[in-house]
Amino acid sequence: MNRQPDISVVVIVHNDAARLLTAVQSVLDQTLRGVEVVIVDDCSTDPSYAAAQRLAAAHPARIRAFRLSENSGAGGEPRNHGIRHASGRYVMFLDSDDVLERNACRNLLEAAETTGSDIVSGLCVRRHLDSRHRGTTKWYPWLYESTRTVDPVSELPDLFVWDTLSTNKCYRRGFLIDSQLRFPKGMFYEDLQFIAEAYLAARRITLIPNQVYFWNVRQKAESKSVTNSRHEITNYTHRLEIHRRIDALLADRGLDDLRRAKDRKFLKHDLVLHLRDLPLRDDAYRREFAALSQEYLAGIDPTAYEAVHASVAICAYLLRQGDWERLIPAVDTLMHRDKISSPLAQRDGRVYWTDAGGHLDDPLGRRVLDVTALGYHHRPLERMSLRNELTGFAAAGTTVSLSGRITNPLGSIPPGAALRGELVLSARRKSLQSFTFPVRSLRHDGSTVSWETEADLGRRLRPLGIVDTVWDIRMRLEADGARTVSRITAADTALTGNEVPVRPRLTRLTADRVEPHVSAKGHLAFRLISQGPAATSASGLIERGVHGAPGALGKAAYRKARALRRKLTSTDTKLRAYHEVFSRLPVRGRTVVFESHLGKQYSDSPRALYEEMRRQGLDFEAIWSYQGSPQGFPEDATLVRRWSLPYLKALARAEFWVDNQSFPLKLTKRAGTTYLQTWHGSALKRMGFDLPELKAMTRDRQREQHDALRRFDHFVVRTEHDVGTLAKALRLDEQRLLRTGYPRNDSLVRARERERAVGRRERGPLARELGVPQDKAVLLYAPTFRTPGRFELPFDVERFAEQFGDRYVLLVRAHYLNHVVLPPSVTGRVIDVSTHHDAAPLLELADALITDYSSVMFDFALLDRPMLFFTYDYDTYAHDGRGTYFDLASRAPGPVFATEEEFHAAVKALDSQALAYAPARERFVARFGEYDRGDAARRIVDQLFADWKHR
Amino acid sequence: MTHRTRTLTAVASRDVFLVSNSVDELGGITSWSHQMARLFSERGHRVHVLGITPAPAGRRHDLGDDLPYRTTTLYDVHPPTRPPAGVLRRRVDPVDRRRHAAHLDGMRRRAARLTDLFRAAGPGAVVIVTQVWAMEWVALADTTGLTVIGMSHESYETCRRSSRFRRVQRYYKDVDRMLTLTREDADLWIREGLDHVGAMPNPLPFFPDEPSPRRAKTVVSIGRLHEEKGVDLLLEAWALVCVNHPDWTLAVFGAGEEEPALRRQCADLGIEKSVEWRGRTADVPGALRESSVFALSSRGEGFPLALMEAMATGVPCVAFDVAPGVREIVTDQVDGLLVPPADTRRLAHCLERLMSDQDLRDRMGESARRGVQRFSTDRVVARWESLFDLLAR
Repeated sequence: MNRQPDISVVVIVHNDAARLLTAVQSVLDQTLRGVEVVIVDDCSTDPSYAAAQRLAAAHPARIRAFRLSENSGAGGEPRNHGIRHASGRYVMFLDSDDVLERNACRNLLEAAETTGSDIVSGLCVRRHLDSRHRGTTKWYPWLYESTRTVDPVSELPDLFVWDTLSTNKCYRRGFLIDSQLRFPKGMFYEDLQFIAEAYLAARRITLIPNQVYFWNVRQKAESKSVTNSRHEITNYTHRLEIHRRIDALLADRGLDDLRRAKDRKFLKHDLVLHLRDLPLRDDAYRREFAALSQEYLAGIDPTAYEAVHASVAICAYLLRQGDWERLIPAVDTLMHRDKISSPLAQRDGRVYWTDAGGHLDDPLGRRVLDVTALGYHHRPLERMSLRNELTGFAAAGTTVSLSGRITNPLGSIPPGAALRGELVLSARRKSLQSFTFPVRSLRHDGSTVSWETEADLGRRLRPLGIVDTVWDIRMRLEADGARTVSRITAADTALTGNEVPVRPRLTRLTADRVEPHVSAKGHLAFRLISQGPAATSASGLIERGVHGAPGALGKAAYRKARALRRKLTSTDTKLRAYHEVFSRLPVRGRTVVFESHLGKQYSDSPRALYEEMRRQGLDFEAIWSYQGSPQGFPEDATLVRRWSLPYLKALARAEFWVDNQSFPLKLTKRAGTTYLQTWHGSALKRMGFDLPELKAMTRDRQREQHDALRRFDHFVVRTEHDVGTLAKALRLDEQRLLRTGYPRNDSLVRARERERAVGRRERGPLARELGVPQDKAVLLYAPTFRTPGRFELPFDVERFAEQFGDRYVLLVRAHYLNHVVLPPSVTGRVIDVSTHHDAAPLLELADALITDYSSVMFDFALLDRPMLFFTYDYDTYAHDGRGTYFDLASRAPGPVFATEEEFHAAVKALDSQALAYAPARERFVARFGEYDRGDAARRIVDQLFADWKHR
Repeated sequence: MTHRTRTLTAVASRDVFLVSNSVDELGGITSWSHQMARLFSERGHRVHVLGITPAPAGRRHDLGDDLPYRTTTLYDVHPPTRPPAGVLRRRVDPVDRRRHAAHLDGMRRRAARLTDLFRAAGPGAVVIVTQVWAMEWVALADTTGLTVIGMSHESYETCRRSSRFRRVQRYYKDVDRMLTLTREDADLWIREGLDHVGAMPNPLPFFPDEPSPRRAKTVVSIGRLHEEKGVDLLLEAWALVCVNHPDWTLAVFGAGEEEPALRRQCADLGIEKSVEWRGRTADVPGALRESSVFALSSRGEGFPLALMEAMATGVPCVAFDVAPGVREIVTDQVDGLLVPPADTRRLAHCLERLMSDQDLRDRMGESARRGVQRFSTDRVVARWESLFDLLAR
């Protein structure tokens, strides 16, 4: 090669002659031709250097080979050597067991030249060559979603803290030389320091989404690489040393934001890597690990604890305090986020991970250990996953003896509860078999429940053999009938005794013993092994069969069977069953399928209408659709699970569909079926074809939408406002509209009439059920839906309870797709009513409503009680989003406000405002509730179901 | 196109083949090809514009006979459409089998002709395939020693929704470089697993000496009257705007199947008086010079030329942000206004902002005229030539 190469690729090798060729070939095969290879051998004891020399001789213009005079023990020195001998304008690094993507050099060079960046980085892909599925994982792909340039790196802290590889990058050689960048000598994690220095020195860095580097991961390789043998304390020492050096660099430059981001990453990533192994290590290791950690953790920014998952923060804190007794269980939660591994403690109305060890006297401890937000205290025993720690294990003859203790958080299992338990063994790979063994003794010990039992595995466990070699063990515990299932954690208990003989159904040739074993996640399991001579040789044969041609054939058949099953239960198949089978059956007269909010609830107008039909004693068959649990649905109706075959069959054959949202869009309604759409609320926000999403669709797609909407034969409206907004947006013509008002609101109108007639407000049974005292007024907070998951209250609920708890009880009703978490401190003063299906009884109970944009405002207005509008995100919600049909601020029949202070002020002034807004409420009802007269259900029955009445 | 056998010397001028479905079809890609052919010729390259098949009758464009480069069409008549891909049927049905074999044979003969043309080219020759259908022939030809570039002249999203998506992945997999219209589109293709994708913008079709004075009370829309161009959405927005601005006119240039429906919509909305249907025009610069605001209300776009032309004429634009190409051309609030797709109320609002503010029109119009010059023919040709160089390194 005469001209200067564009890129020099430094390939380092140590005792890896075989793979070196592949690595180098991936450079020779680059689409960019101006690339040279600099091989540096770290004084291998195998023929690596000879292989390198042969390559150099075969391609003298493109390859040069070097050798260090003594082994340096890490990748840093060889790379430094390579940098010294590189001649290209840019430099890249490649390890002998990895390869470059074909276009890597061309893509990196193009980006470097067009942007003038000192570093260009591309996507690294890890290839798991030894795993069964030979999968790949992208290395921090969120950093590489699109081409971007940062100058300097502090614009993108995530890059600095997460992508710490030196290999997926291309460096301007002049930049490396001018900035005197070198890998540290004789250290593990040499990349971390090099790349940190390089990032900080670079004026400009470009990221490209192209795959550039394939990192071949070999878990089962005999000589484990550095990252796999991280249990060694030296590793950890090196890691901390490198972190200290980087911290010093950041301190020198005053880059506090980067330091904070790095602290977070240290907790989240570096520390977690080592903590995970901790339960498996001995005391000496733990002591040394703690001593090393404590010093480093002391320097970490306390705010970093708040930015990581609670389990990580708790572990880091307990490690920092040297609280072993509680740290080891906490690591269990670190590895299994849902598991509760501490008895927890309630103090001052908050829930803490622990109240022992004096941690709560430390302000940081109090903050970190506060787990109220995780909502453990809301969970019934059935929904808790508890730590179950093995405390004793022995095997003798055909029997194993086990003992352990289960965590009892917040006294969820009361003393004196009737306890029953059993161990369940089931094969890890799905099988039809499982075996249960009763737990002999169970004892309530306060913060734990201890148990002890023997299991005669030799006699009772009958595996199939071959297909079910690993058996997981779980424990079912029943306390007063409530059941919780836990895995058994085997950390500090030695698994001693003999292997237990077993008799697999496919003869003992497949295996003849089971032995205990701890899974990668720390749980106890058993696995089949072969010990006798016959079994050993037979299982060898079988092993070859399974991995050879017959095995491949068998596996292919198994996969085909599974695919067929998937296909049979797929949506497509179900749709065909609906259209081609069920829809050919005759329509059955007087059958009605009801559904509310996609089957999630027994509520709203479908319920009110259903109850009216029952009240009038109509002769009809009722079918209710449910999703999830059928609990709470009426007993005098047939219940069908949404999307099940009985559901589809019921819909295909029903005379009436009644629903408040939509039956599945893809189900065509038959001519003989009438669809009554009750809808679920008047609209403030724009809907349907008034939304840009629908307007943007092509005409064909719009037609599909319209066809689904045209299934509605009757559409219930409660005002002319609905006619002008909803009906128009859903493109419903006049003859489909039922101007009856909402059945769900009948009870509200009647409540108001009753109140006027009697002269006072009466509370129904719900007040007693919720424990609302007579002398307190009820406020209902019902915000609208924003994003799924947990709803963060826009005010401090504890402060609210303190301020107003003596006068009011606040009910909180999240949207049915959300949930809220309340601290125990507000118990009795603030009550979560989100799980109540039906809103009407809650509205009737409430003396005032606080909402934002929810359509509940239109319903509650019928009661003529005060309303407050806490629209803390009005601009983003109403304007940037979809827009509204009217201006809430100017029409709202109550104060509209955005801050917590205004909220408190409005509650204080509730009585005076109730009067002040009375005319506004009247106007509001006249406009948005004109047809709600308390007889909607009856009028609908008269109109549609009159001839179903018994004469 | 894999390994180069001829030695490369530094070449100032190259053989450049531009291969499209047709050389003489009305429409965006053909005019782009001829514009590039002309530009490359002017730079001293030897250009040959190739078409697979003649344009269908009625969509033919007269090229004139003074082209400074060669044109060739492989087929005399459009080849029969490829039989449906049912493998079993092809195996069983003898008629089908024969038809398929004949089709393949025809393709091979045309590909051999391409091979001959390619072999005659000098060192450093480049084949630019503008449409993936044409690539099916180029893939059969011998391109040893040539650099092959495959182009996707539409947004990633539009392509993803069409049958071309799989064909692009198949036929462009082994080209030396695939090009999209913007970096954003290229990144999307890269994430789809094609690592050899780059970006190349379209050049400005013209740059008038005089910008529009922006004094006429006219909002203009130029494009085929097809559902995809979303003139129905523009009319919806116009209905909200025109009541406040009775002295303004919406001039709709273009013709197409939607015209009757659009005129009906216009009547339903009661805005007939302020909308002028101007039909297809041969004088786009003239149409733009007579207007003060340009509206792009499409449901889908690639790298809209009309938008660039308006900007070159100094007419400020309001555009639905439907594709990376649109964001690439217009910088929101600087040299135009971008509106979320199909949000007609916001489109109306933005139109009104420009209509009621002469200063804003002048400022954005002038910025647009300046900014759009980054797509000037000189700059785009320079980007092409540096790409040729990169691919030869």
